[in-house]
Amino acid sequence: MTPLRLALALAVVAVLAALPWFGSDLIIQFGINTLLLAVLAQGWNIIGGYTGYASFGNSVFYGLGSYGVAIAMVQWHLPFGVGLVFGVLLAVLFACTLGAAVLRLKGHYFAIATLALGQVMTAIVSNIPLAGQNIGLVLPPLNNDRLFYELSLGLLVLATLTIFWLTRSRFGFGLIAIRENEEGAAVMGVNTTLYKVLAFALSGLFSALAGGIHAYWITFLDPESAFDISLNVKMIIMAVFGGPGTILGPIVGAFSLSAISEFLSSEVTNLAGLFFGIVIVGAIVLMPRGLADIVRNVPKSGWRYFRQNIRAHRL
Amino acid sequence: MNALLEVRHATRRFAGLVAVNDVSFTLAPGEILGLIGPNGAGKTTLISLISGTLPPSQGEVFFQGEPITKVPAYRRARLGIGRTFQIMRPFPGLSVLDNVAVGALFGRGGGQPKLALAREQARACLDFVGLSRFVDQRADELGGPGRKRLELAKALAMQPKVLLCDEVMAGLNHVEIEEVIDVIRKVRDQGISVLVIEHVIKAIKSLSDRLLVLHHGEKIADGAPDDVLANATVIEAYLGRRRP
Repeated sequence: MTPLRLALALAVVAVLAALPWFGSDLIIQFGINTLLLAVLAQGWNIIGGYTGYASFGNSVFYGLGSYGVAIAMVQWHLPFGVGLVFGVLLAVLFACTLGAAVLRLKGHYFAIATLALGQVMTAIVSNIPLAGQNIGLVLPPLNNDRLFYELSLGLLVLATLTIFWLTRSRFGFGLIAIRENEEGAAVMGVNTTLYKVLAFALSGLFSALAGGIHAYWITFLDPESAFDISLNVKMIIMAVFGGPGTILGPIVGAFSLSAISEFLSSEVTNLAGLFFGIVIVGAIVLMPRGLADIVRNVPKSGWRYFRQNIRAHRL
Repeated sequence: MNALLEVRHATRRFAGLVAVNDVSFTLAPGEILGLIGPNGAGKTTLISLISGTLPPSQGEVFFQGEPITKVPAYRRARLGIGRTFQIMRPFPGLSVLDNVAVGALFGRGGGQPKLALAREQARACLDFVGLSRFVDQRADELGGPGRKRLELAKALAMQPKVLLCDEVMAGLNHVEIEEVIDVIRKVRDQGISVLVIEHVIKAIKSLSDRLLVLHHGEKIADGAPDDVLANATVIEAYLGRRRP
């Protein structure tokens, strides 16, 4: 990393950190939402972007993180920090036990198996009295949006640093080798099962922390919204739109798509619902490897880049 | 017997098909063993049984005197068994250098944990196989002959004790075959045992210390190259029976 890039990154973080002291309440709330979505996209990036396993189970980690905080604070009257740790433990435990089973599946089969996990969790949690069954839990309110904003920003920085470390560590190279060719990775000495489970757990850790912060901020939690699969779809779209398997792609994807969708939902309400659908179709047809790939290739090959992608789909 | 690698009565069935049938052989330290046989004879399956990507239906595999039949593929790699694939398996999105660096990062004894040092080792391996001009290219930009060499470099970066080569010369021209033969000889000179699957008989005859012939999954000959290639059963397997 060059000093210039480091300075630029620090400047961006500083500006973002200062934002709550200048922006309106609305901006801060939009900021918290966007930062948490970016954390989720980065978490998905670890298992989906770097390891090549398109997980639809990350909303389960998010829900477990939310419930960890809610149960600890509401039922056991413990502090928020303890709740976060509890939520992370739940998510990591879930990733290790279920990951060992579902990570044997590849491609579409893995996606389908994880797709079911959210539904199953909704049903299970709706029947647990400790988790408030299907009514949910109401957390003690804390009216301090600046704190939530800075927490979310800190978490995003942590997730991004983790991914930065992945790109230059043995562990990260093992994950990329698994994504590129799993059998080839195994005969070169990569413990593929262990690495996949660890990647799933790391991905779950960040999703759970995001869920925990969100739950305390919103102060209300029910099974339907905690394990909502559409949140998982959102994080995938954002990561894939920005560039899966890149350090900054998912952040760019989350920020740009959140901004556009926020603008649409306030200006042209009836188009907002269509927005993500259009983005999915457009992104898959024109830029299947995300914005990061466009930045790399379009200056070199111009419009040909998009034509090649369209042709690759045999449309 | 101080064999580095020993296969005892290995059998592998795929549903009704017996791909490898009761094959036993040994590989001595520093030996080059040629494995030949008609298409579908079970050569690649045999290599997969040794590298651990397929479990045998019956039989055992020993490495340095220890049974490794139940040991998973990644741990066999760490023990020092390196292989190349006939259908090449590069990591297409990574640079040529980083493809090979994966071998150095993992590989024998768990590998080199420092990325910078692993890349240095990878550079040396690419130099060794003659790919040093392509280090910064993406692996999927390499042509066929380049990919064959890349497979070799990836396996060598693991610093294996035994190298299993699955048709690293297929599709190469005469000059390229000579170059690869040269590389394999140099590998052996470092004390690494080599098992080579090859179809080009002339090439494998000059390269191998010993030849092993598979036909319909069974071992039909094992011995010095000249004797084996003069063997009537082997000639029949390759060319069919002479009319009376």
